[in-house]
Amino acid sequence: MAGAVNAQEVWVVAEQRGGVLHDVGLELLGKARQLVGQTGGRVTALLLGHEVEGLIDRLLSHGADRVFVADDSRLDPYRMMPYLSVLDAACRAHDPDVVLLGSSSMGVELAPRLAARLETGLSAHCIDLQLDDDGKLLQMVPGWGGGVVATIKCPDHRPQMATVMPGVMKKSGGYVGAEEVVTLVVPDDLDTSGPTVLEVCTGDPEGMPLEQAEVVVAGGWGIGGKDGWQLLEELASLLGGAVGATRPPLDEGWAEEGQMIGQSGKTVRPRFYIGAGISGVMHHVVGMDEADFVVAINTDPNAPLFEVSDLAIVEDYRAILPPLIEEIKQRRG
Amino acid sequence: MDFGFSEREELLRKSVRELAEAEITDSMIETMEETGKFPMEVIQPLAKMGVTGVITPQEYGGVGLGYMARMIALEEVGRVSAAVSMGLQVHHMACAAIQDFGSDELKEKYLPPLARGETMGVVAVTEPSGGSDVMGMQSRADLKGDKWILNGRKCFITNSHISDDWVVVTKTGDGPKDFSAFIVDKDMPGAKVGREEHKLGLRGANTGELVFDNCEIPAGNLLGPEGGGLSIAMKTISETGRSGMAGVALGVLNACLEEAAKFACERELYGKPISALQAIQFHLADIYSELEICKLLCYRASWMKDQGMRCDTENAIAKNSTCESAAKCARWAIEVHGSYGIMNEFKVQRLLRDATVTIPSGGTAEIGRIVISRAALAPYKKKK
Amino acid sequence: MKRVIVCLKPVPDPKNWDLLKMDPKTKTLIRDGIPSAINPLDKHALEAALQVKDAFGAEVVILSMAPPFVAPVLREALAMGADRAVLLSDRVFAGSDTLATARVLAEGVRNIGAFDLICCGNYTVDGSTAQVPSQVAELLSVPNVMHVSQMELSPEQGVLITQEIERGYARLEGKPPLLLSFIKEANKPRYVSFLEMLEAEKREIATWSNQDLGLDESLIGLGGSPTKMADLLLRKKEREGVRLVGSPEEIAQQLADKMYQLGIL
Repeated sequence: MAGAVNAQEVWVVAEQRGGVLHDVGLELLGKARQLVGQTGGRVTALLLGHEVEGLIDRLLSHGADRVFVADDSRLDPYRMMPYLSVLDAACRAHDPDVVLLGSSSMGVELAPRLAARLETGLSAHCIDLQLDDDGKLLQMVPGWGGGVVATIKCPDHRPQMATVMPGVMKKSGGYVGAEEVVTLVVPDDLDTSGPTVLEVCTGDPEGMPLEQAEVVVAGGWGIGGKDGWQLLEELASLLGGAVGATRPPLDEGWAEEGQMIGQSGKTVRPRFYIGAGISGVMHHVVGMDEADFVVAINTDPNAPLFEVSDLAIVEDYRAILPPLIEEIKQRRG
Repeated sequence: MDFGFSEREELLRKSVRELAEAEITDSMIETMEETGKFPMEVIQPLAKMGVTGVITPQEYGGVGLGYMARMIALEEVGRVSAAVSMGLQVHHMACAAIQDFGSDELKEKYLPPLARGETMGVVAVTEPSGGSDVMGMQSRADLKGDKWILNGRKCFITNSHISDDWVVVTKTGDGPKDFSAFIVDKDMPGAKVGREEHKLGLRGANTGELVFDNCEIPAGNLLGPEGGGLSIAMKTISETGRSGMAGVALGVLNACLEEAAKFACERELYGKPISALQAIQFHLADIYSELEICKLLCYRASWMKDQGMRCDTENAIAKNSTCESAAKCARWAIEVHGSYGIMNEFKVQRLLRDATVTIPSGGTAEIGRIVISRAALAPYKKKK
Repeated sequence: MKRVIVCLKPVPDPKNWDLLKMDPKTKTLIRDGIPSAINPLDKHALEAALQVKDAFGAEVVILSMAPPFVAPVLREALAMGADRAVLLSDRVFAGSDTLATARVLAEGVRNIGAFDLICCGNYTVDGSTAQVPSQVAELLSVPNVMHVSQMELSPEQGVLITQEIERGYARLEGKPPLLLSFIKEANKPRYVSFLEMLEAEKREIATWSNQDLGLDESLIGLGGSPTKMADLLLRKKEREGVRLVGSPEEIAQQLADKMYQLGIL
């Protein structure tokens, strides 16, 4: 797989499940366009599944010059070995320079196996992609729980592969390119080995106990009343998270004992914590300051909670949460 | 003299620490503080690991690892909850008494369930008439046919309401040293639990009364020889009880250092963490030194016991010093916290209360000093 | 079920990560003085393997590629109940990326012999690539499933797998040999028991070098890694308190974007 030219043929594996394209594929197409913009190359999207023609246009309008389609009943639902075979055959036949996948549950298991089969390099969960002076792909990856950022290159092997976290790159529609659609032939002896799929179950997330919740929506004195508290509950429910509180909401009866976060309450380490109407005294902060990501909403710009937050919103939570809830519902569709 | 721990001991420590941190949760501790009730649900994982049977030989269902292993386990549990550690240490006392003095039948009957944490044990000596004044105890058992009939009450007994097997020391004759020990099942006729105490600290270590009203004990449940009760009480208390208390207090000492150091690094005053201030550094240095001193005392006494050496003096020193030190360092740790230290929401106040309660538990410090004084004077005593 | 291999990585104990320093010249992390621990997710993999041992008497073999000083970590895995450990250790393995590492581990598996299952943690807390399990499976030509939240062995010796996917799960059925990588929801790893710890002291930790594996050196270590590190930057894990500005609706949008990026939506 030695390709002497760099970043000319940039491929994006556009993941779909149940006929729905994962946004990350569209985001990667956006990035791919940026990359080939520097090299004058071509962006190809790979689409695998069954009866997926309806998704092709969206791939083209989001940046693909060409779409390779493998449409076969054996490719629905997603299974590792058949997908791997098709992608491997395509790579060997067409020799891409770069192959990008999303760090979705599918991408995370498929990309490494493909890289191993092609005996090439892969970097994971990239937070940025750039080109060096020779047009080789620079892959920025976080490590040590986010404590370091490494720049990875795959100088001598092809394709250069990377998986990228959803939401890192920006998608944009309205592209009109060569609009080439190529059917990939799925051979009769497609490798269909491996576990069979008994069922696939997706739906809206359920609520979680506070200590285990990945998302915590917490409120303090600033919430002001039970009706305001309901906004927090709605948001938490939408996100499949849990509601937390400081002491005043407990005393006022808006929240329950088990919801208190802090020195004498619970310690939470969610991936995402949003504190509304909370001043952020030490008693509370020690119960949540190890959250991965903290958003604080408070009308008081001097609220101590802002000192331990990643995002600061100096507004009345009543102005922010309703549009946020709407936005989330809309995106969910 | 090898002051290092073996790989086995390090792994043991790490394992107990992980269990204690995961199983003894903050909300469990909060419930213990509020209700004073022992969290029985924590016994199962501790038993499965081998903590309840740590000093009991493998042939009787235990792990047979000895007293150093026990010290490490009590320390690590005590670091999270001194009250749970206290419950364990008293349980071990019952195991030790039965192991050291029981007939084969008694050992085979009682040790395996105790070792496996299926039953809990207690050693009951103290009475309203005195704990330090052992020989002044008022309870009494008399042999009637094939049963001993026991009357009296034991008070301030840890594990009173959660234990199944009670090793009871009582008067069985009219001579000044006529005491015997018995294993009493809580279900024996005439055996009851009485009042439960509410303590300043070690809340969650259940402390209460055992009441005997013509309690019928089968003759086979005599533990050791008739008249051997005093030496059983003395040996168990001085070798297992005091070292257990030391282990509990050592755990508290560890927690004092951690809480004080963590707070000092987080709390900012004058634009810096207070750990930059010499006054705070000195407090921390003092706590650190106390911890190191007490570790040496505790580990040395445990080592001696495992070597089969006589160690009642060393255990008394370890117990007195560690309990006293824990209370002292908890006070300093509170001072490091400033006003936060006296707020119930912070952990340090519990450390002070727990440490204070260890001081008279398992034998008063005063009696401990009497034990130590004997060793001090022994080489110089003139023969009459 | 006769043999389950558990790929286990000793990692610097996450509890001590704030002690990590980076050498500015060599751009490598200085791990000295930071104790090693079993990669947290590997404990869940090991627990799954031990449950197979409890039910079917399978042999559980720990396989690790690591420097020699990690023996206490492997001993802990044995003390949890594994039967023996194989440590692949050799200077020539140093600097391996995920593919080179997978080559070494796969050869280690071949040397161990036939297996029914290989259990891995979904990712390590230090590298976090989540790539090695799939790559090992590819090199051994066995199917693999990631993000496993549940594994049951059916009476006909089939393997029922629940895999976590976005906003839901997939249920799969496979046949050994298989490689599975586990997430933390899969089980609660057992604690070391003292009796097991004593038994474990008699169990073997075999150390194999490349002499025992016979791998072509051009395929392993730094030289055998298709990916190369060009730069390494320490990221200060401080909260930036970035202020969102605009109308409330705009702020709500920006917040929703961030939540999507974090995978919360």
